[in-house]
Amino acid sequence: MSTIKTEAVELKPSSVVRRPGKGGGLIHLMWKYKALYVISLPGIVYFLIFKYIPLGGSIIAFQDYNIFKGFTGSEWVGFANFAMMFQHYDFLRILKNTLLIGLYDLIIAFPAPIILALLLNELRLVVFKRVIQTVVYMPHFLSWVVIAGMSVAILSPSTGILNQLLGLFGIEPVYFLGDNAYIRSVLVGSGIWRDMGYGTILYLAALAGINPDLYEAAEIDGANRWKQTLRITLPALLPTIMILFLLHIGKFLDFGFERVWVFLNALNTENGEILDTYIYRSGLLSQQYSYTTAVGLFKSVVGLVLVLFGNLLSKKTTGEGLY
Amino acid sequence: MKKWVSLMLATVVTASLLAGCGGKDNDSSASGKDAGASTEDSGVTKFSISLRTLNFGHVEKSPDINADKWVKKLEELTNTDMDIRLVPHSEYDQKMAQMFATGDIPDVVQGQGGVTGKEMAGSVEAGVFMPLDDLLQKYGQNLLQKIPKEAWNRMTYEGKIYGIPEWLGNPSRRATWIRKDLLDKAGLPVPKTIEDFVEVLRAFKKMGVENPYMGRQDFKYADTVFGAYDVFPYLSQFEEADGQVQPKFFDADNMMKALSTYKTMYDEGLINKEFATINPTTFKNTILSGKAGIWSMNANELLQWQTQLQDTIPDAKLEIIPSPTGPDGKGGYYLYGDVNRSYFINAKYEHPEKIIQFLDWMVSDEAEKFFTFGVEGETYTMDGDKINYKQPTDSKGVDEERYRQSFLWLVQDTTYNKGSLSLTEDGRKLMGVFDNILANEGRDGIEFDPRLEALKKNPDITPLSDTPPPVLVTHMVKMVYGQEPIENWPKVIEEWKSKGGNDVLKEANARYQKKEGIFLPRK
Repeated sequence: MSTIKTEAVELKPSSVVRRPGKGGGLIHLMWKYKALYVISLPGIVYFLIFKYIPLGGSIIAFQDYNIFKGFTGSEWVGFANFAMMFQHYDFLRILKNTLLIGLYDLIIAFPAPIILALLLNELRLVVFKRVIQTVVYMPHFLSWVVIAGMSVAILSPSTGILNQLLGLFGIEPVYFLGDNAYIRSVLVGSGIWRDMGYGTILYLAALAGINPDLYEAAEIDGANRWKQTLRITLPALLPTIMILFLLHIGKFLDFGFERVWVFLNALNTENGEILDTYIYRSGLLSQQYSYTTAVGLFKSVVGLVLVLFGNLLSKKTTGEGLY
Repeated sequence: MKKWVSLMLATVVTASLLAGCGGKDNDSSASGKDAGASTEDSGVTKFSISLRTLNFGHVEKSPDINADKWVKKLEELTNTDMDIRLVPHSEYDQKMAQMFATGDIPDVVQGQGGVTGKEMAGSVEAGVFMPLDDLLQKYGQNLLQKIPKEAWNRMTYEGKIYGIPEWLGNPSRRATWIRKDLLDKAGLPVPKTIEDFVEVLRAFKKMGVENPYMGRQDFKYADTVFGAYDVFPYLSQFEEADGQVQPKFFDADNMMKALSTYKTMYDEGLINKEFATINPTTFKNTILSGKAGIWSMNANELLQWQTQLQDTIPDAKLEIIPSPTGPDGKGGYYLYGDVNRSYFINAKYEHPEKIIQFLDWMVSDEAEKFFTFGVEGETYTMDGDKINYKQPTDSKGVDEERYRQSFLWLVQDTTYNKGSLSLTEDGRKLMGVFDNILANEGRDGIEFDPRLEALKKNPDITPLSDTPPPVLVTHMVKMVYGQEPIENWPKVIEEWKSKGGNDVLKEANARYQKKEGIFLPRK
């Protein structure tokens, strides 16, 4: 009992003395904010165990990994798996699909929630706004398998409602899911339908934070709604947009596996297959763990480079950045 | 901790029981019992076993399969204590690989087919399991006698048997189904050749049948025509031509004829214009709502589909007919492997002989009676010598029966359940279908097991057991849709070769010359 007391007493003056010093300062700060450290501990442990340690597993990309020999016993092959990837006769086609779909997603699907949020923001009737908001959130909670099933029904040339509508204008039925020309639109479009509403949440929150005085002042100065949107709302949203944009860029090549897989068939794989589906096919189904880890690693490195580059650019131009 | 305690308790209880019984011999058939037998030797055999759920409703809905009534009964009958670890059906291959990677391998592992299959992930080669030849000689004479040689061959690696197979006596499983009521209405005889078959489809079309032939994505379960022309682009379908081993789809002449037939069917609306996007569920639902005329399905589903179809269309009549024949006068679907499930024993397990005895019991008459009819007084009664078995009628009961007869009965001939089918008129007819129609048809080829390395490396040119390789299926579907001329098939073969197929051919021929890991056609 008494020893603890003396220790506590001793600690105080010594740490005060050491304050200007580096090491002591850190310990002191950690001691001072010990509650915060304790609270963040589970999070830190989570990231260490589930994110950082598994990252080490990426070394199998440089091995000929055998599950019975493990990391330690498997043979090292250097960059052979990467060479195999770049030499694959279909690599360019799949990379092109991935880049194109990623690009469409960025320029069409990314702004969609922003526009929707701005539109929702202009609604006068609160009840109406809430109802619309809820309705557009909903699809986000559907699984891709369900969405694919619905799409097959809606897009069917014989029984689908879309083709029946087109038929009213004298347009011949189109086999949307059985045509290379449409698959990318279907993929990006289904994504917009599913996630546009959900994506508005952050923007609406940011919109709610804008000081109403600004609008009042603008009104007195004679700005109409459109001018107010351009001069007040958009600039106020810009930091949020930038952050989300940078996060999106980092996932540029990660269009997602399931959402593509469920739509692919023999007639549209040529334009629809992306790196994720290729990894699934050759890695998990054919058990080429090292090879697909290499493809995955390539994807991650490209993503990292894009984020760093985008962040740099953003900091230079707008002063906003992720870190 | 809890587990450990219960294990302790179990040991104590059995030990005291044994003491009470005065060391009564439980299995006198085990001749190999010698001096120095441990207490466990005549006690309860404890082991863990991994089993794929195989989509059995009763298994997947069960809160704890180890507490299931039939598992308990089985344990009682065989003096065992199983710890069943279920492996999800849809992620079987991945979960098995995961299991091997983590090293948490049960005492008995259930595989699917041969020793070097994908799901085994190279474990047999890595020495995870023990060779069983000597043990089988000593403890598994019934197994050795009842299981056909073809099935044992599949379980052999480097001359030694590594697993015990649940075999398939009649590997011809898929069949051509027809709506007999529609055929009678059309006034046509049962189609024999592929030409007759197309004529019947045309007649169905005229009668207003929406899908005269039921199509499906990637030609899966919609490959009747490829079978007639003997050009299945599947894994087990290699053939010898001019002294060289090659895949059957290299037969460009017949392949183009088959594709032309499909194209005719597509152009005339005899097959759904959207077959490229028809999934298994839509396939089944369309048929069961009476909108299809002819299709292909596994024969063992017949009774179930008949009942379900008659719910919507009371006078619908389903029949399995001999598959339409091609130029060589034969037809049918690809033959299944000789092995359905297989059981491997962990090299670290201490009492493998007990497992062999347990599996040996599976092929006994006692086991057949138990799995087929259940327990006397509960699921059946004896009427003199005759068994009075109440067949369940509700879907829950049917699920439970199927589970007992198929899932839990680990080693049997899985062609059909004789005891159960013999009870009804429809069942006897179905057995006739297997023995008289399916046994006489089907296409087989040269198969490589272990799989060819060149195929493993390149998934795009690799066929599955019942689907063409991705490189081919794209062209096949496009040709039928008229997006690519069928005359291009020789070019498609060249494409397959250039994308890695040349290595496949080289390896296949080398293996064929050396007679290493090849299985010749059974028909």
